[in-house]
Amino acid sequence: MTSTIRILGLLAFIASTTTSAADHSASFEAEVGPFFETHCFRCHGEKRQKGKLRLDTLERDFGTEQNAAMWDEIMLRINSGEMPPEDEPRPTADEIATTVDWISTRLEEGRASRMAKRGPVAHYRLSREEYGHTIYDLLGVHYDAKEPGALNEDPRWHGYERIGSQLSLAPSHVERYLRAAEKVLGQAFSDRDLRTRTGRSGPEAPSRSVVWPGRGGGHMNAPAPGLYRIRIGLSALPSFAGRMPRISLWSGRQKRSVVGRDVIAPEDHPTVVEIETFLAEGGYSVRNEAPGKLDAGHTIRETVGRITKLEDLNGVRPTGYKLLDDDGKPIFPLLIFDYLEWKGPILSEEDRRKREGLMPPEEAGIAEARRSLLRLATRAWRRPVKDEEIDRYVKIVESELAAGEKWRESNLAAMAAVLSSKNFYYLTEGSAAERRADLSDSEFASRLSYFLWSSMPDEALVKSASHGELRDPGVLRVHLERMFADPKIKRFTSSFPYQWLQLYKLGMFPPDPELYPDYDKWLEESMRLESTGFFHEVFARNDSIREFLKSDWSMINSRLAMHYGMPEVREAGFRRMSLRPEDHRGGLLSQASILSLSSDGTRHRPVHRGVWVWEAIYGKSPPPPPPNVEPLEPTPAEEPKASIRQQIAAHTTHETCASCHRKIDPLGLAFDNYDAIGRWRSEEVVTGGQGDNPPVDASGALSDGRTFAGPEELKALLVDDLDRFAEAFVEQLATYALRRVMTIDDRKDLEAIVAASKDGGYRLQDILVNLATSRLFTRR
Amino acid sequence: METFRIPQNAMTKIRQRRCIVLLALVSCFGGAERTFADSEEEPQAESFIPQPGQFPPAGTGTYLAGELVIVDPINRRGGLRLEGNGNQNRYARGPIFYFAMLPYGTIRFCGAPAELRDIPIGTLLHGYFFLPPVGEEKTIPPVPEEKAKMIAPQNHAISLEDDFSFYQRQGQAWKIESVEGAPKHTVDISSGTVTSGDVSNRGKLRVVSSGGPAKDGITGSYTFEIDGATRVWQGGKAAGLDALVSGQIVQLNLTWAPGWRDDEFCVADIWLDEESQESATELQRRRHIRYQRYHWLAGWVDSVEHRDIGGGVLSITFFGGMDPSLYSEFRDKGAKGIGVAVAETTLRTYWHNNDKKFGKMVGWKEIADPPHGSSGYQIQILMQELLNGYRPGRMVRMQCRDWGYFRLPSEERLKTIDERDEAATLGFPK
Repeated sequence: MTSTIRILGLLAFIASTTTSAADHSASFEAEVGPFFETHCFRCHGEKRQKGKLRLDTLERDFGTEQNAAMWDEIMLRINSGEMPPEDEPRPTADEIATTVDWISTRLEEGRASRMAKRGPVAHYRLSREEYGHTIYDLLGVHYDAKEPGALNEDPRWHGYERIGSQLSLAPSHVERYLRAAEKVLGQAFSDRDLRTRTGRSGPEAPSRSVVWPGRGGGHMNAPAPGLYRIRIGLSALPSFAGRMPRISLWSGRQKRSVVGRDVIAPEDHPTVVEIETFLAEGGYSVRNEAPGKLDAGHTIRETVGRITKLEDLNGVRPTGYKLLDDDGKPIFPLLIFDYLEWKGPILSEEDRRKREGLMPPEEAGIAEARRSLLRLATRAWRRPVKDEEIDRYVKIVESELAAGEKWRESNLAAMAAVLSSKNFYYLTEGSAAERRADLSDSEFASRLSYFLWSSMPDEALVKSASHGELRDPGVLRVHLERMFADPKIKRFTSSFPYQWLQLYKLGMFPPDPELYPDYDKWLEESMRLESTGFFHEVFARNDSIREFLKSDWSMINSRLAMHYGMPEVREAGFRRMSLRPEDHRGGLLSQASILSLSSDGTRHRPVHRGVWVWEAIYGKSPPPPPPNVEPLEPTPAEEPKASIRQQIAAHTTHETCASCHRKIDPLGLAFDNYDAIGRWRSEEVVTGGQGDNPPVDASGALSDGRTFAGPEELKALLVDDLDRFAEAFVEQLATYALRRVMTIDDRKDLEAIVAASKDGGYRLQDILVNLATSRLFTRR
Repeated sequence: METFRIPQNAMTKIRQRRCIVLLALVSCFGGAERTFADSEEEPQAESFIPQPGQFPPAGTGTYLAGELVIVDPINRRGGLRLEGNGNQNRYARGPIFYFAMLPYGTIRFCGAPAELRDIPIGTLLHGYFFLPPVGEEKTIPPVPEEKAKMIAPQNHAISLEDDFSFYQRQGQAWKIESVEGAPKHTVDISSGTVTSGDVSNRGKLRVVSSGGPAKDGITGSYTFEIDGATRVWQGGKAAGLDALVSGQIVQLNLTWAPGWRDDEFCVADIWLDEESQESATELQRRRHIRYQRYHWLAGWVDSVEHRDIGGGVLSITFFGGMDPSLYSEFRDKGAKGIGVAVAETTLRTYWHNNDKKFGKMVGWKEIADPPHGSSGYQIQILMQELLNGYRPGRMVRMQCRDWGYFRLPSEERLKTIDERDEAATLGFPK
């Protein structure tokens, strides 16, 4: 029976690839054959092969790298206008666009097919983020895999950092995995005194410390890595302009803030901020995170650090920093710090249980060491482990003991080897012994768990998988409901939108501080949190994905309200806020994160915005630009000020450029009302040039001819195409979940998920359930 | 007991002292156009009290003249023995008239901008004075009531000038009518050596004013003493008394003479020709520029536009009376960076090269007819950090970025707040 299925599967696979190649030939003839016949074959055909290139017999199979490279070159020559030569009849812009688009699409499909090609066993290495979560869920140790010197940065594909074919393994990875394992195990089974301690620091009352931007207040020294509870007593005064104070815990060793909070409390009504967080060993201080760092040592020495009343600051030496304006109001958000109390490291009962049975007592002997290693490997490798697989690790314990090492260290060495094994940092699907199309139960549990929790399956999932029940739709739905309700779901609702929306690009080109002095790190982080928070809100309420395109609400904090020109928010944290028409916001597309991530630090880039819409909303990759495209130059001083739109129009008069820009640019130009950091404007500020700044023109037309006058009308058109967006969204979700690029072979399964989700109006949780219960999700 | 009166001229026929409303100062001061921080009301000359951030209205200030007898160049203060006015008591028992320069008060010597340190003790100076500014009433400690009558309560100077500067500015010079009884006094031009002369043998130099006439000061015919210590300048070099010839149009600086009580003066320096005058002016101008480049140009803060992301925009008006090239330098180089150090009303800084903050010029305004004390130039500077002393009405000193990095001598700097507080009050012997 099994062999029959295997043969049928193989035949289906062969058939699908054959069909795919044949389809390309047919579509070639139908869609672009006349173009090549008219413009190419005379010099590159049967009679002549200029440059030793013959196109009429060139294979239309884009699945091989060699063919793809050849077609890529042909596309570039056409796209750049190099071919056909100048003395030949010129194709129209539409003809060029159609041909280039056809080749580009086939190349993408071929590439996806190559990337998704799977042997009998597929390996998907954990991303750094997943590694950290898995370590925590396995041992209760917080490991910051993104810390400098920790794990290598993951390569991305269209924003996704968990695509198996991208995550190769180099010797440096192995070395770092070993170092990470030793560090993690050293913390989990430390031989140091890890009793919970307490501490307090702060000025003697009635004295209070003034903490201005960039300055530290109370200090604590975390004696060991672990979970800490911190209480900070302070007043926190907004700036004269209403900017809310933000505090953070600053790590002197890491030179960065590890956790932050917005806080507001009047001088005469101090508050207590409570923080529970994981800390590495070392010193920390309370820091004022407001922009406008004041850190010149000699000026700090001239500035009063201790006061009893705010007005004492008026007595600051004239050569000290100015902290109060002439009305006595803080110029910056100002902290008046009273005390910092801390308690830690705290080992929760849940985390303690994770470590139970993994470090054998010495008196139990080597047999217990074997059992402990088996327990660790079974959980860490996320599958049943055979006894003989443990032999080599037991031998490590034995050889270490023979070499004179202590019992604990010998066992730690073996445990480190378990965590440095590829069985841990690779998700494995398939087996060398058989060619199967479907996942095993344990593989399915891992896929599900890494999809929604970015981590290993918990006991309940493992148990269902071990009983072979997990793929039962009823059981699976119960698990999904449980997983959606678990706090770990926030890993999905932050990580997926981060990767899908390519939020990693935010701040990649830091905005020029002279042009955008109001931009700061907290604003940047707030932008990111608005988008991920927005996604989480849609998820939590099981709203339709239509909200991503257009909404009358968003997740706003004080900083963003200030940035967007919305009414002042006087409370800390993000909240769901209704939007007014004059806010010009709603949906993802007009969020500052999306509008900023495509900017270059000095100005907005409509073409990049258009490309982003194509990729994230339409799920398509536009053809690459021709080589040697001249960049836009700043407006010359003696010429009238020209908007970017006007410059692009002048720039894309060449037919080969115009053909693509006609499709891409309107999607970006529709958002010209937003500057490079996403602020609304009605005129475009142009540096250089003569005359007034040009008014914004955000009108345009889609390739199907439908017109819009600005961003809101474009959003409405996108909502009209909700099915199209749903198709793209499901494909994005599946790419994330299956850790591979979708191919035409997956199309029918994807369509089925979309269809199943449509009745409910494409509610987000419904889509997730439909994906997790789909045929696609169970297939290798 | 005599009461000091201004002006009082009963003893001299030719002097016309006027304690008046001044100020159509020909070249650098001027008209009545209101500018950055002007008063709504026109105060009376003698009762006007300077306010922070407000230049005095045109036509105010009390004229006084006297010999510079003591000087605190660091705090811009000094003491004058006021002119005699024929009053025996005042000459014999009158107190030193101590004064403080207003922060925007200007000093000129030899026809060029100057500091108090540039002026030799003993030089007769002409000045215009106001009552103490608000908050600085105790800067010049009061003198006993019976002595206070001999001097003026207006003890904050808006301008001080030597005779050369005072009369030249008003287009007035002196024409030599005769030289009588002067000792032989020649100078070897090549070595600069005085080959003969006699200080005890005092001669007379009879002159008559030419051009002008200057407001305040003296006009008409006058007789000054000369002796072997009188410095004579001709062709830009030192010369002897024998170079004095009737008919020469000269400028001169005066000093004490035994007949001071009766407004008699001795000539300290006399410049016989334009070349000598220009040479003296040019040297003083250079000296002044050197000083300003080390101590930086002073002004006050008109306004501060705070930014709660750090820094802000300072609007600062330069004080007047500096060499025009210095203002131009700021205008031309401002975009490359301007250092702004806080200063006190004495224009003393703390550790200016160290505690200054840099900013970039983002605006420059000029007004054609600035009020007395103002240069007419206002600069806007975008600062990345603000010091506590950057407040409206407070003093600052500014440097162009390429003026170098150096520390002023210890005695010039305010090193502690105690020093600042001590320096807020005159520290001379009573």
